[in-house]
Amino acid sequence: MTIHEEPTMPEHGKDSALGKGVASSQAQAPTPTSTVAQPHPRGMSRRKIFGIAAGVASAGAATVVGGLALEKSLPSFASHGATATTTQIGHLLRKAGFGARPDEITAYASLGFDGAVDRLLNYQQVSDSEMEHRLSALNLDLSKPQNQQRWWLLRMTWTQRPLLEKMTLFWHGLLTSSYRKVGGRKAYMRMMVQNQFLREHAFDTFDNILLGITADPAMLVYLDLTRSRKNAPNENYARELMELFTLGLGNYTQQDVYGAAAALTGWHVQGSSPTARFIEQDHSTLPKNYLGHTGNLGYKDVINILTNHAATSWFICRKLFSFFVYEKPSDDDLRPLVETYTKSNHNMAAVMRTLLLSPQFSSPKAYRSRIKSPTEFVVGTYRALNMPGDGSGLPAMTTVMGQELLNPPNVAGWPGDKVSALWLNSGTWMARLNYLDLVLAGSPNGPNKAYQPTDLQGMINANHLDTPERFVDYFVLYLFDGHLEQDRRTQFIDYFKGQENSKSATQITLTSGKSYPLSRVRGTLYLMMASPEYQLN
Amino acid sequence: MRLSRRAMLKDGMLVVSAGMVMPAIFSRGVASAKALSIEGTRVPSDRTLIVVQLAGGNDGLNTVVPYTDSLYYKLRPTLAIPQTKALPLDNRLGLHPGLAALKQLWDAGHMAVVEGVGYPNQSLSHFQAMDIWQTLNLSGNGSEGWLGKLVSGWVDQDGHPFKTLNIGTQTALALSSIGAQVPTLSNTQSYRLAPDPLDSDGGSGRLQALMKLYNSYPKTSPYAALLDATALNAQEGERQLRQADAQYLSTVTYPAGPFGAGLKVLAEAIVEGLGLRIGYVTLGGFDTHANQQATHDTLMKNLADGLSAFYTDLVNHGKADNVVIMTWSEFGRRVQQNGSLGTDHGTAAPMFIVGKPVHKGIFGEPPSLSNLDQTGNLKYTIDFRSVYATILDRWMGASSKDVLGGVFGGQNFLAQG
Repeated sequence: MTIHEEPTMPEHGKDSALGKGVASSQAQAPTPTSTVAQPHPRGMSRRKIFGIAAGVASAGAATVVGGLALEKSLPSFASHGATATTTQIGHLLRKAGFGARPDEITAYASLGFDGAVDRLLNYQQVSDSEMEHRLSALNLDLSKPQNQQRWWLLRMTWTQRPLLEKMTLFWHGLLTSSYRKVGGRKAYMRMMVQNQFLREHAFDTFDNILLGITADPAMLVYLDLTRSRKNAPNENYARELMELFTLGLGNYTQQDVYGAAAALTGWHVQGSSPTARFIEQDHSTLPKNYLGHTGNLGYKDVINILTNHAATSWFICRKLFSFFVYEKPSDDDLRPLVETYTKSNHNMAAVMRTLLLSPQFSSPKAYRSRIKSPTEFVVGTYRALNMPGDGSGLPAMTTVMGQELLNPPNVAGWPGDKVSALWLNSGTWMARLNYLDLVLAGSPNGPNKAYQPTDLQGMINANHLDTPERFVDYFVLYLFDGHLEQDRRTQFIDYFKGQENSKSATQITLTSGKSYPLSRVRGTLYLMMASPEYQLN
Repeated sequence: MRLSRRAMLKDGMLVVSAGMVMPAIFSRGVASAKALSIEGTRVPSDRTLIVVQLAGGNDGLNTVVPYTDSLYYKLRPTLAIPQTKALPLDNRLGLHPGLAALKQLWDAGHMAVVEGVGYPNQSLSHFQAMDIWQTLNLSGNGSEGWLGKLVSGWVDQDGHPFKTLNIGTQTALALSSIGAQVPTLSNTQSYRLAPDPLDSDGGSGRLQALMKLYNSYPKTSPYAALLDATALNAQEGERQLRQADAQYLSTVTYPAGPFGAGLKVLAEAIVEGLGLRIGYVTLGGFDTHANQQATHDTLMKNLADGLSAFYTDLVNHGKADNVVIMTWSEFGRRVQQNGSLGTDHGTAAPMFIVGKPVHKGIFGEPPSLSNLDQTGNLKYTIDFRSVYATILDRWMGASSKDVLGGVFGGQNFLAQG
């Protein structure tokens, strides 16, 4: 049994235990505001959330929100059960997940920030059986890429473990493969094997993740390691393992590519089999020179040398930070993550905990610091509106926006994962906006399961939205973390109250009894999600 | 706003007077334009460059085949293109048989081959090599593309959003610049904003409200310039493309798939007079480490059939005189085939220049197969920047010195001046 075949669990060190204690004590707090009045001391001293000193927060719940220019504009927050941490929690759940509905924001906020991070990281403690049930009820044929994409997008939409799915998405963009090169149609299932591996080991040690991906059937085909022979090693996987997965360019030579290629020989996958085998007789036993090491090295040695290489610790922490916090981090930003990486023996749960609890993560610089990826946009919207559809239209949507899951443009994954501005151009922008129309108004050609119209009347009734202002504020709360300039709010309300412009007599009735044309009401929601702010994460 | 913006433009140049107040996106364009000498940005009004990127590293030796070199057959015992199948260009070099459609253009005198193209200390990394080809920063850390630098001097004169057009869902690094937004699309039908079917005004009221949200998005907010430029570019572009779409009629059959479809969009933009100066399209899948032959055969045919259809479409519409096509790939492949019936990353490779204005011929020298570098790769004979310089100086009417930041000479596949 090789290391990567052993079941491994994310770290539950003392940091985690401490966090849990705090979470449960805060969960017992009688009112949401008391979590603000008595915040966790560690959190208090460390964080100045979005430029608001924590000391100010203790003065009262509304102050934190108000400090964000919201107190005057959005007094209704308290009545929606918002706590002082609405913006923090909204930010956390967007970055470490796919956004949240009001009930989720309330639930996470009641745990306090550290407790919310714990809940995200200790995902095994959160049941996802409802999602599993809904997914299996669809009876999808998962040997087809489009169904795989749909299955995963719905997973992200319905999960109670958002960080697990977000982390899986991160790994998919980094240790990537495409169904277009996994051995043909009969071997498409290999993409699911890889996806499940990345999910199961999302918070494992980097060593185990790399050992597993090296022997992953899809990867063996995608980067040709299965074609490598001991007498003629193929360079492809060896090079990309160093350039794109661990060290980065400049930290190895062409000689190291040769050395690694020889050391990595032996792994093969046959036919369309979803399992790989290590064939001892096809492993090169010649002495190799590799990154200053010599001897009869094998794939475990290669991974071991790489994960203990200083360049790797900075490389992987930079990738994580750029994806989850903001781009172009400084060495000072990364140092605590690198230290955690080393101290925890390369444990990704530990590194992620450091990242999420870092002052940088909760800094103004991190707020709306990236353009949403197509997956974040599509899933986030579907999730926020609690869409009832079966998700069959979703894969095509992320694709026209520039991200077809399980089919990255090349072995470097999606450029937008690194530089998020690359997600946005005139074509992908229009694709985003047209998706909103589908979600809000449903498919133009009659009702089908892909897109049923958003049930605006139901949302209005359930949340007692009695005025245009309250309608807008309700969505601002969770589409914008309750954080929006007054002028923007006014523009949305003005549109809502604008002149009759509808061909249809269909009206939406607020709980005050006053009616508005359907196109005005859904047009307002369209504008909110089409706005510049909503494109950001 | 549009009127005053145009007033700043004279003969295709931005004319800026001190204290003039402009929207952010235009002032950024001005900054770039200033970086170029004014003479250098004068664009002959109707000349177009189409750039075709062959992504993944195209095997140059199996594209332009040294079919009389015994060393080629020795180093590629199973992958070599048989002598009898190569389509001879001269007594040394022949085209891959899948390039038959390009061979016809060669025979008609409309194609040049530039041999041995590369740069010093070539990178075997896809991504560094792609960055170098696109930004000309030889450390691979550049962020502004060479074409982006050129187009940012052309900001929106005459209200033409399609001076540059990128096919795909992501704008190529070669086109990226701080000052210009490049329309990026895969097909013309989806390049439009759908209205709410219930809006009695056809969606104009909602669109107006939307544009106001973008115009009033604070300029100091994250990604303000990008968001603003994107919305503006999309709004202006979709209208023009919608009109073009209604008029464009092609009798040519393009090869199936996104590459052919992309070329057709570019043809439409040229035929319908959208003001296209630079079109960019990518054909991917060239990273043939294993089982190369079938993949490469398909790619070669797709490339040739696509370019040939595009050319014919232009000829049929009387537009072929003003269009030049250039192909490039981040590197060629290793001379010796590997143990997986494929080839690993290489260095120098040929480029194709296609079009009526092109002088037929083989330019540059095919690298020697007996004098390889220490990784077993070809030594380049032509600097890729001299190819760019030729196109900039002799076709685009630009100053290559300003755009490329140096003097790199020229090749005679285009006439002087």
